[in-house]
Amino acid sequence: MAATEATTIRLQSNDNHVIDVDKAVAERSLLIKNMLEDLGDAAVSETIPIPNVTEPVLRKVIEWCEHHRGDPPATNEEESDTRKRTTEIEEWDQKFMQVDQEMLFEIILASNYLDIKPLLDVGCKTVANMIKGKSPEEIRKTFNITNDFTPEEEEQIRRENEWAEDR
Amino acid sequence: MSRAATVMMPPAPNREDIAATWEYLQAGISKIMINLQDGMDMGTYMGIYTAVHNFCTSQKAVGLSQAGSGAAHRGAHLLGEDLYKKLIEYLNDHLADLLEQSKAHAEEALLTFYIREWDRYTTAAKYIHHLFRYLNRHWVKREMDEGKKGTHDVYTLHLVQWRTQLFEKVSEKVMSAVLMLVEKQRNGETIEHGQIKQVVDSFVSLGLDEHDSSKSTLDVYRYHFERPFLEATSEFYAAESTQFVAENSVVEYMKKAESRLNEEEERVRMYLHQDIATPLKKACNKALIADHSTLLRDEFQILLDNNREDDMKRMYNLLNRIPDGLDPLRQKFETHVRNAGLAAVSKVASDAEKLEPKVYVDALLGVHTQYQGLVKRAFNDEPEFTRSLDNACREFVNRNEICKAGSNRSPELLAKYTDVLLRKSGTGVEESDLDAVLTQIMTVFKYIEDKDVFQKFYSRMLARRLVHSTSTSDDAETSMISKLKEACGFEYTNKLQRMFQDMQISKDLNQGFKDHTKSLQLEKQPLDSTYSILGTSFWPLAPPNTTFNPPAEVQADLDRFTRFYKNKHEGRKLTWLWQLCKGEVKTSYCKSQKTPYTFQVSVYQMAILLLFNEKDVHSYEDIASITQLTPDALDGALGILVKAKVLFQKPDSAKPGAGQTYHLNYDFKNKKIRINLNIGTKSEAKQEEVETNKTIEEDRKLVLQSAIVRIMKARKKMKHNVLVGETISQIKGRFVPKVGDIKKCIEILLDKEIPRAS
Repeated sequence: MAATEATTIRLQSNDNHVIDVDKAVAERSLLIKNMLEDLGDAAVSETIPIPNVTEPVLRKVIEWCEHHRGDPPATNEEESDTRKRTTEIEEWDQKFMQVDQEMLFEIILASNYLDIKPLLDVGCKTVANMIKGKSPEEIRKTFNITNDFTPEEEEQIRRENEWAEDR
Repeated sequence: MSRAATVMMPPAPNREDIAATWEYLQAGISKIMINLQDGMDMGTYMGIYTAVHNFCTSQKAVGLSQAGSGAAHRGAHLLGEDLYKKLIEYLNDHLADLLEQSKAHAEEALLTFYIREWDRYTTAAKYIHHLFRYLNRHWVKREMDEGKKGTHDVYTLHLVQWRTQLFEKVSEKVMSAVLMLVEKQRNGETIEHGQIKQVVDSFVSLGLDEHDSSKSTLDVYRYHFERPFLEATSEFYAAESTQFVAENSVVEYMKKAESRLNEEEERVRMYLHQDIATPLKKACNKALIADHSTLLRDEFQILLDNNREDDMKRMYNLLNRIPDGLDPLRQKFETHVRNAGLAAVSKVASDAEKLEPKVYVDALLGVHTQYQGLVKRAFNDEPEFTRSLDNACREFVNRNEICKAGSNRSPELLAKYTDVLLRKSGTGVEESDLDAVLTQIMTVFKYIEDKDVFQKFYSRMLARRLVHSTSTSDDAETSMISKLKEACGFEYTNKLQRMFQDMQISKDLNQGFKDHTKSLQLEKQPLDSTYSILGTSFWPLAPPNTTFNPPAEVQADLDRFTRFYKNKHEGRKLTWLWQLCKGEVKTSYCKSQKTPYTFQVSVYQMAILLLFNEKDVHSYEDIASITQLTPDALDGALGILVKAKVLFQKPDSAKPGAGQTYHLNYDFKNKKIRINLNIGTKSEAKQEEVETNKTIEEDRKLVLQSAIVRIMKARKKMKHNVLVGETISQIKGRFVPKVGDIKKCIEILLDKEIPRAS
């Protein structure tokens, strides 16, 4: 595929906003990348409908893709393993993820749908960091979850997971 | 089969409704499977992907198969199994349909059908793989991580279904179509081999490792393609070659086989899988070569006899392809070369006595060169053939008609030829070519078994060349010595080198003597003399077998030199080798000549001629008593002077002897100004030869005895037969000892009580 950098692609969010984006940036999404490969050059001129993502989220995702356009493709199993093991997030990504919870979960869902593994990882790590070191009550507060366990159920769960407690 | 030309996509389904979702997906998949050529729009593509995604992420999806238990598994269970099963069902239907269609085709049409459907199917599989990527990433991955066999990623699933549902039912028919096509090509027809290539690729793609779908194996291909292909190939060539051999000559057959083998190699390159290269080669080699190897080998002698180099090369290349194919050829080759060598020797051996060394050596070399060339050109310069050549050469060099007279003849003649080359004489060999010829000599030398005989003759002749300074060049001499050293080691050439050194030392010594003489300021002009000091143990020279009283002029110089030398090296004994001394005398008595003649003479002749300075006539008895020469030596010296008409013998009987008188010939005439009278007689040369041969036998006994003593010293105690064996292996490089001789030597040593028998 010649002149990859120059080609522009139009993405259409489910609320019918069209966003122009460099092909190389769009191809951070494996879904889009595979599709363009399958359908060939002719398809590039068409607008690509993204039925599961709203405009603000799509823009946010594209912002991330723009920033990471030059990243080497992480196909290697080992590499993704090490990335999974650590909860460290690079500075830019940390700032990028400083959004309200609603948006954070939307980004995670979108990256899962669009098949952008590194972004999915960053999102999940951010959530993991929000949970880390918190008591169940604190976690409930953080994510606005109502406790629907009976005290007996709760006690049983606590016993089952005793081994994981940080002492 | 009639299918809807275009598939209409139903509306996007509700994410929780499996039935609706599947209906939607099936429409999309059918479009991909059947109508992909019509193109596909983004909307549909994204729609299918999204439908898969939405279904798999749906919270409340109620699967068809898990309607009852679905709720209990929620959370831990990833949705997707239903889609996967539906997909399998769809594929099976599609493939069953293809199987039905395939029955309408046969042979080439079947190939076309198979390839077309394969292409379409695999292309679709790639699409569907991508569209079901969400399923792959989650449900399939989880299943595989949990080690569930029989779950594959979507693309592999396509291949597995193809293999089980279609391939296993049609592969035989497809294969027979392939084989028919190949046979057509082997029979010279043009075929579209791209089709076969595609079939091969398809068969290879189906080789999936059951345990690890990321790996592939060639098992399917080997079983379904290679095996029948090889069988058909063997059958074809067995039939073809049998018929061809019956109707054509062996040479023609070889050409045919050669081109067939190349063809098959080309076939692998063109459209087969590289994996078949080795077994295919093996099958062809067996059918085309091994099965006809006896026939081929029987032809070899004919090719050798007619020197058909190209055909022999062909045969070599063919038989080289099968295990142990060449051994019989090598044996025949060896016998042939030996016979050729013996024949070449017989040709020149008609008069063994007068045989020119050059003619003999050239005859040996000729055969060697010819067959070495053959080995190089036709037999790939193979070491095994070279060994056969060496064996043959060793045989005919050491055991031929000439050697019947005496096994020493080969080394002797070789040494003599070397002497001819290294001696100043009109051999016609340019100095620049000399080294090449010497290298050829070494070629023959390598085969000589009695290397000690060569050494004996060579050192005698080297001594003569050095003493008479008749060497062509010092460079050539040292080059030859270093060649011999390289072949036989330091010990072999030690004496030769020392002889060379002696000459060098003598040169310096003479310079010193000349300076010394000058410093004496003698009244009379001293002789212009040169002396060579030759170490007794290095030179193969015997003291003179005659008494001799040198002329006074010579004696004076001699005494002076002796004093000079003894002054330098006290306690050394000098023995004068009169028989090797020579000099020049200038005539002043010849009337007819303005420039005086110069005679090159032996010192014996000089002593005789100098007598005529006193008076013109001497009797035989006088000469004998003054010179003190024995009759043998005196007669030889006088004979030449008389024959050259320097002296007249009276009465004029044939042989010098008592009662005769000798007169100086004042009317001596010759075309040349320098006349060489120092000519050895034939009988002398003959005698030397006999002597040399005699010393060889004696030396061998000594070599054997010293070897035996050396071995016994090292081993202390040894069985008789082991000792004999050990001795042979130590001596082999010099000559081939006879067991009888070794036993005799052991007995001699036992008598001297050196080893003790027990």
